[in-house]
Amino acid sequence: MREVTVRVNGAPRTGSVEARKTLADFLRDDLDLTGTHIGCEHGVCGACTVIVDGRAVRSCLMLAVQAAGSEITTIEGLATAQPQPTSPDRPPGAGLGTLQQAMWDSHSFQCGFCTPGFVMQATAYLDAHPDAGEQEIREALSGNICRCTGYQSIIDGVLLAAQRSREA
Amino acid sequence: MTQIAAERYTGASIKRSEDPRILTGSGRYVDDLKLPGMLHAAFVRSPLAHGRVLAVDVSAARALPGVVLVLTGADLEAVTVPGQDPLFAMMGGGGPAPEYTLLATDKVRFVGDPVAIVVAESRYLAEDGCDLVEVDYEDLPPVVSAAFALDPGSPPLFANLGDNIIGPHKRSEFGDVAGTFAAADQVAEYHIDVHRHQNVPMEGRGCVASFDPDSGLMTVYAATQSVHITKMGVATRLGMSPDTVRVLAGDIGGSFGLKIGASREELAAAAASRALGRPVKWVEDRGENLAASGQAREESFDVRIAVSNDGDLLGLDAAMVLDNGAYPVMGTMVPAIIEGMFPGPYKFAALGFESTAVATNKASYIAYRGPWASETFVRERVIDLLAKDLGLDPLEIRLRNIAPRTDPPFMMITGRPLVGVTAKESLERVAQMVDIPAFRRRQAAERARGRYLGIGMATFIEAAPGPRSPEAGSGPMGMEFMRLTLEYDGVVTLFTGQMPHGQSHQTTLAQIAADEFGVPFSQVRVVVGDTDVVPFGLTGGSRSATMTGGVALHGARQLKAKVLDFASLLFEASAQDLEITDGQVQVRGDPDSAVPVGEIAQQAASGQFDGDVDTSFEVEASFDGGEGGWSGGSHCAIVEVDTETGIVTVERYVAAEDCGALINPSVVEGQIRGGIAQGIGAVLLERSAYDADGNFQSATFMDYLLPTACDIPRIEIEHLQTVPLDADVNFRGVGEGGMIIAPPTVVNAIEDALAPFGVRIYEQHLPPARILELIAEADAG
Repeated sequence: MREVTVRVNGAPRTGSVEARKTLADFLRDDLDLTGTHIGCEHGVCGACTVIVDGRAVRSCLMLAVQAAGSEITTIEGLATAQPQPTSPDRPPGAGLGTLQQAMWDSHSFQCGFCTPGFVMQATAYLDAHPDAGEQEIREALSGNICRCTGYQSIIDGVLLAAQRSREA
Repeated sequence: MTQIAAERYTGASIKRSEDPRILTGSGRYVDDLKLPGMLHAAFVRSPLAHGRVLAVDVSAARALPGVVLVLTGADLEAVTVPGQDPLFAMMGGGGPAPEYTLLATDKVRFVGDPVAIVVAESRYLAEDGCDLVEVDYEDLPPVVSAAFALDPGSPPLFANLGDNIIGPHKRSEFGDVAGTFAAADQVAEYHIDVHRHQNVPMEGRGCVASFDPDSGLMTVYAATQSVHITKMGVATRLGMSPDTVRVLAGDIGGSFGLKIGASREELAAAAASRALGRPVKWVEDRGENLAASGQAREESFDVRIAVSNDGDLLGLDAAMVLDNGAYPVMGTMVPAIIEGMFPGPYKFAALGFESTAVATNKASYIAYRGPWASETFVRERVIDLLAKDLGLDPLEIRLRNIAPRTDPPFMMITGRPLVGVTAKESLERVAQMVDIPAFRRRQAAERARGRYLGIGMATFIEAAPGPRSPEAGSGPMGMEFMRLTLEYDGVVTLFTGQMPHGQSHQTTLAQIAADEFGVPFSQVRVVVGDTDVVPFGLTGGSRSATMTGGVALHGARQLKAKVLDFASLLFEASAQDLEITDGQVQVRGDPDSAVPVGEIAQQAASGQFDGDVDTSFEVEASFDGGEGGWSGGSHCAIVEVDTETGIVTVERYVAAEDCGALINPSVVEGQIRGGIAQGIGAVLLERSAYDADGNFQSATFMDYLLPTACDIPRIEIEHLQTVPLDADVNFRGVGEGGMIIAPPTVVNAIEDALAPFGVRIYEQHLPPARILELIAEADAG
């Protein structure tokens, strides 16, 4: 067993893992961050995408021990406030980040399983390419698979987020 | 059209209540669950397509530290009740019932057939344990093709059947088939193949089974389209009284027909939990999902079509062979649906249909979005082939043969009334949207430059729910149930047996109930996924728009009547003079009298009213589908085929759809686009592939290719003004249509693009290599 310390969503986290444990399993099992989903475990579907030291990474293809010392952002780290139980005077979604809000407004997703990967991939991409157009965004997200939507609503959400960020 | 008290939310693209949780990683999928003491299961699976299990040695696996339990097929048979697949059994099967065990006992019948379950402290250790299980197999000759399975000399998969006919040959005739074909000017014959492909939800199957030895209660946290059907499967196969089994489900990462009932692996995990008295999680990996969860659609059709010289479609006669794969789950039930739907919206005067289902050494045939879709593919493909052979325009031949909307309605030759069908309008609309004459000019100009563009269209109807038959007493899709309550805080709670896995029911049902009852959208809660509190139900068959939308509407109406009856005592006014608006009960038109519904509910619960006053704000509603109706539409695609690489690009895709009154347009369009994307994938990319020995060839996403954001174009959708049939409920299902109609639309377009080469297409799967072969074959011919 190896001791691994990473910074996740701004806070230091430590766990003791087998050398063979993937970063995805470490985040989900050891750190209880189950927002990162596992869709194929061979690096194709992108559901497990997280941001490691500023770059979008497939956490199913990275070992937890390889991530030691890294700064990691997961889907749980994007909302500016944690979701609360909703009530008539406390609308759902309060505190969503710009991209999350735009995706909500665009009906981007259906079952939600691929969602964390798309959100993280698009977050990393928009950070580096705030002026990206539709075709560039499609290509940037072509390593993430969604089986529900046909992608148009996801692309629309990313485009809307980019537009709002530019106008902000 | 649809009569709702106040259409404030219904018909609007209300933002989904599901999204804040899924966008923040707060969704709760089955793999997110962690229970105290929970163990993890993995399966030893057959590497052979067909083999005899001579011996299973689990001693090394049992000795591995961290491994807690290993059960072989025989071990599991000793602690479970024999029987068929739970869904197959519930649906009444169809055809003979072959040997069916939860894990393989004497034989393995496809690559991935489960042979033993290993339960350990982690999934990693469980997989280590699987590696240590030694299985001695004797190779048996594999039965990989349907043609071989039809051969009486093929080695039977199931000893108790004696051959590989799993759905015996059956022939039906509607109208005067022989007479129609004898009198026709022409009879054309085609052989059409539909290839094997599969659901591939982004979340595979999985469960956490938790047996409590003290109480004797089994709780199963499932990913399922119906918690109650899963419960029936668990109770039946584990020999437990249903009242000791509870099935719960949270968020579900897609299904498309895969996750119905209780799979063999889930039942094995539940049996392991009972044996150990500890929770056991099984979540399949992608290799298991692709190899062993089930596959769909491998069918072939010999079709004869009788036609007049003018292009009147007179009769259709099709012989279908369905390749069921190994075990009977859904395959033997599909031919009957195909038979009924084969005429589509056309006025065929005669239909012959015959089918045979065979068992082969491949994964079992399961439901996949529009399980009967091959009837539309075959019909719409044949119509295009016929149009070419007769020199007719594919749009004109369709319009000429669409049944007119008459009163009384035109009857499909297979028996159902074509009431309210807008196929003619949707065909005309897609033709306008793409401007066919302008496209033909561009196509000719581009061909001169060596670019090959093509246009294709197709039309379909879907019984979602289907029309009420004139003579039938019951509705088109059975009954749907819902319990509704008004809580003390003014929240209207709907308990539904629907088990959404992407369909947005927590939004759409709340829209309908909020409007009908008279509360804000945020004041409706939709409860799903707990057999202890929700009524029986199933999300599938595109049933929920009509059936559950309808029961939400009628249930909210009944609940509101109860509340107003009670409020009439408080207001000292007749219930007819009261209304509920924006969550307030008031005298009609008098906002000063308004009292929040929550306060009314608190008063009712105060105990200060006599027993003859009904103070229970709860109703058990049911709905039979009302008048029902058809969903349907027409799609049109423009493609470009690169004749050097064989790559097909979908340049434009338009859809004119009629799914009745829209509850939430964005949700509807998401369903349509998602189905189209799966259909495009089925044609251009996806295939569940086996080699000649039955070795599975597509067990990763590098072999089973799914469409990405670069493969699917923007899809333009128009909603047709529907023909309302019911006084209250005209929402119709839209879940399956895109997947039903996209394959023929795209294939028709590809054939049109390749017309200069004389290519004729009789199959559905057209990856680049196959496109190049078709061009080469046509050149050679």
